Amino acid sequence: MTTQRPRVWKMIATYAALIILCAVVLYPVMLVCKKAFEPGRQFALSASPIPTDITTAHFEKLFTERGAHGELLFLRHALNSIIVALATTVVGVIISCTAAYALSRFKFPGRKTGLTMFLVVQMFPATLLLLPLYVILNKLGLLNSIVGLVLVYSTTAIPFCVWTLKGYFDSLPRELEEAARIDGASTWMIFRRIMLPLARPGIAVTALFSFMTAWNEFIMASTFMTNQTRYTLPVLIQSSVTEFSADWGLFAAGAVVTSIPVMIAFYVLQRALVGGLTAGAVKG
Amino acid sequence: MTHPVVKQLRDFAVGAALAILIATIAFVAVRNKELAASQIDRANAGIEAVVSDRTPLPDVHAVLVGGAEASPKHPYLRRRQVREFGATPAWRPLAVGSPDDKLIYDAANRIERLAADHKKPAFAELLPDGSGRAVAARAVSRGKIAIAVTPPAHPAPYPLLVFIGLLGLGAALSAAGALVGGRARLAGTFAGIATLAIPCVLWRAPVASTAIVLVAAAFASMQLAQITDRLASGFRAHRTAIGFLAPAAVSMFVLVAAPFLIGLLLGFYDHHHGEWTFVGLDNFGEILSGGGRPLDDPLNFWFILGVTVLWTIANVALHVTIGVALALVLSRKWLRGRGIFRMLLILPWAVPNYITALIWKGMFTGEYGAINSLLHEVGLDGVSWFSSWASAFAANVATNTWLGFPFMMVVALGALETIPRELYEAASVDGASAWQRFRHITLPHLRPALGPAVALGSIWTFNMFNVIFLVSGGAPGGSTNILVTDAYRWAFERGERYGMAAAYATIIFLILLLWTVFGTRIVRRKEVAA
Repeated sequence: MTTQRPRVWKMIATYAALIILCAVVLYPVMLVCKKAFEPGRQFALSASPIPTDITTAHFEKLFTERGAHGELLFLRHALNSIIVALATTVVGVIISCTAAYALSRFKFPGRKTGLTMFLVVQMFPATLLLLPLYVILNKLGLLNSIVGLVLVYSTTAIPFCVWTLKGYFDSLPRELEEAARIDGASTWMIFRRIMLPLARPGIAVTALFSFMTAWNEFIMASTFMTNQTRYTLPVLIQSSVTEFSADWGLFAAGAVVTSIPVMIAFYVLQRALVGGLTAGAVKG
Repeated sequence: MTHPVVKQLRDFAVGAALAILIATIAFVAVRNKELAASQIDRANAGIEAVVSDRTPLPDVHAVLVGGAEASPKHPYLRRRQVREFGATPAWRPLAVGSPDDKLIYDAANRIERLAADHKKPAFAELLPDGSGRAVAARAVSRGKIAIAVTPPAHPAPYPLLVFIGLLGLGAALSAAGALVGGRARLAGTFAGIATLAIPCVLWRAPVASTAIVLVAAAFASMQLAQITDRLASGFRAHRTAIGFLAPAAVSMFVLVAAPFLIGLLLGFYDHHHGEWTFVGLDNFGEILSGGGRPLDDPLNFWFILGVTVLWTIANVALHVTIGVALALVLSRKWLRGRGIFRMLLILPWAVPNYITALIWKGMFTGEYGAINSLLHEVGLDGVSWFSSWASAFAANVATNTWLGFPFMMVVALGALETIPRELYEAASVDGASAWQRFRHITLPHLRPALGPAVALGSIWTFNMFNVIFLVSGGAPGGSTNILVTDAYRWAFERGERYGMAAAYATIIFLILLLWTVFGTRIVRRKEVAA
């Protein structure tokens, strides 16, 4: 802020405080990485984040454990997670693209109300819908079904995707569309041939976000999926450390394997994410 | 200008679609009711036959069941004998695998339970498995029970031809009205749509009949006020926008609005063993009165609300303070390695929050958990974190602070970047102190971005299910539950009291709605003041 350099002791204090905070931030993450490679089921027997003994036993157990029907549990659950997350992404992005374009370019009554509705849905937590969704899915026989979970996750993904993509469409110049319209292109052709290709970066961000939301969701999956073969990875990871039998080594190995892809995704799109989350609130 | 008959048929088509929807619902309801009644009659007739020792109708499976007796080999197994009526009446033991025997065994047990509770030892009902089978059971003399099971029933088919015929008739009526013109047009619309109420009257479904007539009246009066024409032209003018929006609108309606409305309704019902009973405002009364529990009881709504508010305030305050402080530090121009610090400090945001919660749960658990080990290192005693309210609450707050501050930090950093440097330079020249610069330049520029972020953050924290559920799990004794986790427990851990859970969700929604309206007002007023 101020242009001149402050005193040396002040600089040292600032660096020291930052380093301590970074250590606090890193400590739990390092503990998990340590646990993933350290033998034993207990979480920690010492405060040190450096393992004394290295083993890959937890990973081997994670990848080779079999369920009641002889299936490889981790692979099965990873497959469930991937299918659910990919399907949510596809459904979320396809449905939001057209809506976002309409909200960005067309003038029609109820446009503002529509935008506010998407914002309200995004703000209010899906947990409030957990029970009615459970009752409905139960009635329709969609508990323990991947389709049910995808439908539910799409509700979380769509409002965010609509807002983010609308922001992206807003930022694209209108001249191209006008030129195409003069050349006789229909609205659908303009959308399909010009706007969608231009919006590719925005679509990539929303797609990654939808994927992350579905990949990281825990409570709905654990409530709706009671059959072990239908678990997603979060449910598997949580079930390895229940009160009655806790295997923290297995948990840590699972946590490391599951988190790394989403953490990479997060770092790739963090700037866009912040924009998307706050843009709605600021503009609305 | 479109031809009046075309316009008339357009209005008729929309009205008729609504009417057919209502008629279909009525048809399904009536059909199911009739089916249930006739199946239950058949089952009861089967019992009558058994009681009077006659042979029942051939397709009804009617039996006489003896009292339960302990198996000689496995005394905990209670066996029953059953006497079939049919070609060769004889007693045989109830066996697994034989069709209907599980049903019969359960029904016999239920009759004995009813008798033990001094209730009338008889029942007759449709099986809840959707097969359309009915089962009836009644206690007969000397511990014997008569039970009858009917075969599956196939409901009457959907009366498609009836509806098509009536649609044609209705369309002709309304077209005729339009051809005559003037008031006859309205009469035609009314008569045309109301035609579809005829089957509902025949099915003795008064609600549906009235609803369809009301729809017809509504369409006729809408035509009178020329609303249908205006709607149609609006629809035509914006049909591209509507087409583009339709998929999202429909899916939001089906996946958000409908469950939301159903959730609101469920709050007025009590759920017990798969049966819903309308109880009006009882659930809300029980919640808001605290259920007759003292105020410091962890199941009292007001206690949980207090914990939730305290939880929200503590977390948001910590998030904002830490986030803004870090943003101020990170925005210093002389600082080296800002990118690295920023990357490290947003790490908690990148970790999936259920994993964060479980990690911290592990760190707080046990005499030799990581946190207690750290305390031992500096010569302090370990704390049993989840056995007192204050320490369990603190553990939850610590976890949530760790995972939540990066969001505020990033928002504040973004806002700080927009402040023009000249402002600070000018202020320095004018001799403003560091505090004055912060108070009069930094803070007013942070507010527009931080306001919405605080509103959003407070709603997220208010509903931070994963942290409470996975870290303290409400321990000790449910006292660190917040509203959302307690609602979850009503639904899934306290005997499926779905009604209570739904009422909780409604109350949470109302609180959040009030907070959003009220909270944004505060933010706006401050913006005006600044």
